[in-house]
Amino acid sequence: MWYDYGNYQYPNYPSDSVGTHNSSTAAVTQLQYQPHYQQWENNYSQNASDVSCAPGTENMSVTTISTLNCAVPGISSGYQCYPASGSQPPPPGTTSWRPSSSSSEIHSVQLQQASSAIVDNHDGSWKVGTPGLQTNNLCQMPTSYQQPSDSNLISHETFENQQRTLYPQTANPQYPSAHQAPNPQYSSAHQAPNPQYPSANQASNLQFTTARQAPNLQFPTSHQPPNLQFPIAHQVSQTFQSPSQTGPTLDTRRVSKLQIPTNPRIASTLAFGMPKTEKDTSAPDVASKPAYISVSIPKSNKVSHDAAETTPMTGMFPKSFCAYVARALARCKDDADKVTCQNVLKEMTSKARADGTLFTRNWDIEPLFFIPNTSVDSLNKDNQQSTVIGSSQPKYKKSPSRRGKSRWEPIAEEKLAEKIASVSQHPVKDASWDRLRERGKIALSGKQDVKDCDFSDIKFFPSQQQALPSKNAQKQVKKQRLNNGTNAVENGDASSESDREQGLGAYNSGAIALANSPEERKRRENRSKRFDKGHGHRREIKYFRPKGGIGAGNFHRRTSSPLLNKNYEDGYSRAVEDMDWDSLTVKGTCQEIEKRYLRLTSAPDPTTVRPEEVLEKALLMVQNSQKNYFYKCDQLKSIRQDLTVQRIRNELTVKVYETHARLALEAGDVPEYNQCQSQLKSLYAEGNEGCYMEFSAYNLLCVILHSNNNRDLVASMARLSAEAKKDDAVKHALAVRAAVTSGNYILFFRLYKTAPNLNTCLMDLYVEKMRFEAVRCMSRSYRPTVPVAFVAQVLGFTSNATMEVSEEKDTDGLEECDEWLRAHGASIIVDSNGEKQLDTKVSSSSLYMPEPDDAVAHGDTSLAGESQMALLQFEGKIRLELSNCHQICNTSQDGKLPRGKFKVKRKTRAFLNCVRCGCVCDPNTQLRAVDITDHCSCLLVLVGGIWTTSEI
Amino acid sequence: MAYLSMGEAHRRITEYLNRFSDAVTSQDGPSLKPLLAVSSNSPHLLSLADSLNIFQDASRLIKQSDKYSQIGDILLPLLRSLQSFRIGRFVDAYIAFEKSSNAFLQEFRNWELAWAMEVVYVIAYEIRVLAERADRELASSGKIPEKLKGAGSFLMKVFGALAGKGPKRVGALYVTCQLFKVYFKLGTVHLCRSVIRSIETARIFDFEEFPIRDKVTYMYYTGRLEVFNENFLAADQKLTYALKHCNPQSEANIRMILKYLVPVKLSIGVLPTKWLLEKYNLVEYTDVVHALKRGDLRLLRHALQEHEDRFLRSGVYLVLEKLELQVYQRLVKKIYIIQKQRDPSKAHQVKLEVIVKALKWLEMDMDVDEVECIMAILIYKNLMKGYFAHKSKVVVLSGGGEMFTFSYSKLLFILAFFALGNKKDNTVPYNMSCESSLLGWEWGCHVGVSKVSPLAGVGMEREAEPVKIVEIYASVPVIMEMFWFSAEG
Repeated sequence: MWYDYGNYQYPNYPSDSVGTHNSSTAAVTQLQYQPHYQQWENNYSQNASDVSCAPGTENMSVTTISTLNCAVPGISSGYQCYPASGSQPPPPGTTSWRPSSSSSEIHSVQLQQASSAIVDNHDGSWKVGTPGLQTNNLCQMPTSYQQPSDSNLISHETFENQQRTLYPQTANPQYPSAHQAPNPQYSSAHQAPNPQYPSANQASNLQFTTARQAPNLQFPTSHQPPNLQFPIAHQVSQTFQSPSQTGPTLDTRRVSKLQIPTNPRIASTLAFGMPKTEKDTSAPDVASKPAYISVSIPKSNKVSHDAAETTPMTGMFPKSFCAYVARALARCKDDADKVTCQNVLKEMTSKARADGTLFTRNWDIEPLFFIPNTSVDSLNKDNQQSTVIGSSQPKYKKSPSRRGKSRWEPIAEEKLAEKIASVSQHPVKDASWDRLRERGKIALSGKQDVKDCDFSDIKFFPSQQQALPSKNAQKQVKKQRLNNGTNAVENGDASSESDREQGLGAYNSGAIALANSPEERKRRENRSKRFDKGHGHRREIKYFRPKGGIGAGNFHRRTSSPLLNKNYEDGYSRAVEDMDWDSLTVKGTCQEIEKRYLRLTSAPDPTTVRPEEVLEKALLMVQNSQKNYFYKCDQLKSIRQDLTVQRIRNELTVKVYETHARLALEAGDVPEYNQCQSQLKSLYAEGNEGCYMEFSAYNLLCVILHSNNNRDLVASMARLSAEAKKDDAVKHALAVRAAVTSGNYILFFRLYKTAPNLNTCLMDLYVEKMRFEAVRCMSRSYRPTVPVAFVAQVLGFTSNATMEVSEEKDTDGLEECDEWLRAHGASIIVDSNGEKQLDTKVSSSSLYMPEPDDAVAHGDTSLAGESQMALLQFEGKIRLELSNCHQICNTSQDGKLPRGKFKVKRKTRAFLNCVRCGCVCDPNTQLRAVDITDHCSCLLVLVGGIWTTSEI
Repeated sequence: MAYLSMGEAHRRITEYLNRFSDAVTSQDGPSLKPLLAVSSNSPHLLSLADSLNIFQDASRLIKQSDKYSQIGDILLPLLRSLQSFRIGRFVDAYIAFEKSSNAFLQEFRNWELAWAMEVVYVIAYEIRVLAERADRELASSGKIPEKLKGAGSFLMKVFGALAGKGPKRVGALYVTCQLFKVYFKLGTVHLCRSVIRSIETARIFDFEEFPIRDKVTYMYYTGRLEVFNENFLAADQKLTYALKHCNPQSEANIRMILKYLVPVKLSIGVLPTKWLLEKYNLVEYTDVVHALKRGDLRLLRHALQEHEDRFLRSGVYLVLEKLELQVYQRLVKKIYIIQKQRDPSKAHQVKLEVIVKALKWLEMDMDVDEVECIMAILIYKNLMKGYFAHKSKVVVLSGGGEMFTFSYSKLLFILAFFALGNKKDNTVPYNMSCESSLLGWEWGCHVGVSKVSPLAGVGMEREAEPVKIVEIYASVPVIMEMFWFSAEG
């Protein structure tokens, strides 16, 4: 289950969720890091929530953020969320959501039409959500449907989790308070100014601790962080999760990058940024909210004004619901889809209204894609129940695992329709949607004229509807959800809401205005183009790199970027490959030793890049670390990245790659090893000192044992220099080669035992094959029998241990050998002396190589290299492959990931390090019941039982 | 460079242009051919290049006359190529030549008749040679050599133009061979596969229809490919074909073929004569052959080590290394023979320790387990008949005189050999032996064929004693024909 994995992972980043939360909430001990934490949290939460969707969206978000400034839509949405969340308790909710909705006229309209009786926090949140989406749409192009769904799901989960966690403590009435609690905490923790909510803080703390899951906890916190981040972002964050303050730096870095470039550009953004910070601080205090208002800029005023006007309209439908609808519609490819979709939506709304859940439901979280998903329904039900009942229910905690399937499944319109049909009562007017669209268009047209002022969410909305939901949009949705959480926190302060709303509105408008600037628009267009293109290429482009903690997009731009680059004025948004490295070579200033790896999607930021001295320390730290391979792999990758970014190619670089290669060998991670090896080759060729011999031995072994290509082998042998041939390791490798080519198993296993360095690890991968050959040979040539003990000794079953231990160990080896022989179809008899004998004559015809299914889970020989992997990409077409996998292998129920053998789809490199839960699979752990939902990474690859994400 | 007057330069250029266009219009391949051989360094072309250096405005000449301008696309870059080649700028020369060739190919496609085959050959050859030179130039200036690759894809285009039903198809093999050369040089041998497939499977091609020199070259390269795949039977067949049809005058080519054929023959149990090795300067194999004859493992390893570089470069190292098992086989055989002389009744039981001792004499330090393993492998791989008794550590040979067997592939070869000789029926007579040193190959053994049916497991025995001719069933000329030196006189 999810939890398990989370625990599992945590070893890497110990105590991340609980510990960090506590610390952050406590705010006592680590004041310094608080800003970091927040950032981290943001990132983390994004990651967690986004992760699945993130890969694609992350990049997007990054770009958008950078271009947009702090004002980034996401953040703005976050602000909006505040009011919305505030509105969660029914009475406040209505008011709260209005402000948020004010930004979008369309929303208001819809709301009016819908005009449902119950106004809940959810409504507010929904509304909030929509603006976010809209902005997102503008900013980013429609990416993949599923991605949005992913994000939604994730956020949904997290939200639910929050709710669940919260619920247990308090009944519905308490609910708002619970939400509030996190805010105060954060604010206090980060800024430490608020004495007012001590009690709240404590409460939140308790909750958090109970919640245990970092992602969930983070969400509430994360909402604020965006705000905080703006001002603070520049600093390097320390890892939220890890007490050691490791990973998160990357995340923060991104944020900071983005912010940094943007802030200077636009004055308005700065202004906005300030208010935000204020908000954060003020958030706990209702009184402080006025600050927002004061911040107002002309633009923002206008917006707020508009918002105020529109707000009554929105009352009809929760914003979040509007956004939800928009999302749903956006998915439609053609009119037919739309019609069905609308019908479904109608039914849903009617049902929701009947249930009274229309406003209570958290539409942001509501699975959209849900439509296709069967599980979605259950989710919805869960949500409904949770919202309606409001009481704490232990089962909910489990829920994350349940979702998994639904997220990945294709949108099955029919299913939705069916479900909806059953549910439907009051149809929602189609017209509302159309209106929305029209308005959106109008707004768009108007946009050009009034660049700064009118930017309401609405404008973006239309684009969203018609275009596929952009990754950013989804991302923002997530943020909004986060915001919702915060909103909930704020609910308590009903009195100040109106003020707050205005402030928020202003803020939002500002952000939007920023977003609308011609520059920005241009960027968005570019982005959209990119995504259009990206759709076609989806497979080739792995958008997703969940590894990085941050929600910032990891989108890989290689394929699509060239076109775009021209459009970008600044290097930030450029594709990494196309960068002018000379100008971008940075000198790092970061002093953190630990840093999580995140694939760069923009120009490196010196503040997050570690200089050589620090990298040296980092390397030492990794070398001395007791943590598992995944942690080390991650760290080393980040070191490698920093080296690359700074163009450091010296002995240190060699050391890093060597260290990594060795670790990879030990872990049996051949793909990663190959990466290192190829780098090392060129590093050595440049004249860097290193363990050249050792690695040429590895190289040889690799060619011998894995590539099985005579020509390659001869070529690499011919390349060996005279002195290389004298080296022990190389000699050993050559001897192994001779043993393998001649089938001399005795020699092979002797060499196996005497292997220098890590030659053993490479040989390990060949042992099974060699043994099988050997037994075949023996059963063919020996008559009548061979003692099993002899076989065990010859084939290395007896532990290589020293002589003394012989007795016990030998029996161990004997049994193991016996087992192995039987597993391979050998016939074993017991002779008169009671000794086990291999009956060669019978065995010679009965031997077989068993299907390496159990081996798969161990990342074992037969799977080494690229032989068997599954590429599970839970998005788009690739997701279909998952279903194929389901057929191929033993599927586990409940949308758990299938286990077993898969065909190779693609080379993969990185181990899965699910950012969300930290779930990492050790090569030796059986992969069982990993919930897909929890692996937010969109691209998961199962390599011999090892979850990997492909890095692209 | 001697001084050339402007007028003289002009005259030479127009003369060249005239010859070119006349040849094209009269469809005179042979006279067009030399005009395109940029790298041939013929005096005519050299002087032309000099003239071009002086008379810069050749393009105007071409444009002036309708006669030239039709083929201006060919001529213009061709002249530039000649000029660049003359002054040692091979990259430019290659680029220009490729352009010209492309234009020529365009024209060539439109010609129904195959009169220009010769010219295409020249172009295919020139493009490869120029690309090689250009790459050398690029590499020396630190750039990425990529022209040969480009030449490869151009040649593929040419191949496409030739691979049709028309009379041009006979040229396809020549282009294929040029492609092989390119690919082998580039190390992208896998690219050969597609061409081979189309040559061998396409119905439009009749292999016998191609010119003999192309067939030989083709067989040589495909044979080499088979060597890499350790597909010795096919390799043997192809390389033998190449050897048989190769022009006996061109010793360098024969040597190249033998360089691969000898290891292949060795691995299927056929030893070359000393004479053959010496004649073609293949002395690196001498020790290998000796080791095989004597069962001298040490000698084999020594020989391999001594010529390791050479063997690795030619790619036969792994093939030769596999001969080790044959050496072991030979060694056991010797022990068996000695035992037989002493005590025929127990000769078939070879004690492991005896073998270990024998290896000790050869200064091969191997312990019992290892030797046991090797014996097991010998039996497993069918190089020896019998079994190994683990308890008593004894190799028990079975089957009287035929316990040392050749692998199936070897048998096939030998049977084919005899089947050729005995045309009446495909059975092979009992106890037929021959001394094959007559044929350029020294069998170094009695060939004792024990069964009648060619495909039944026939044991071949190689005796240590000097070979005696018992019978030669096949007429000598027939057998001789199988070998290269008899083919063309």
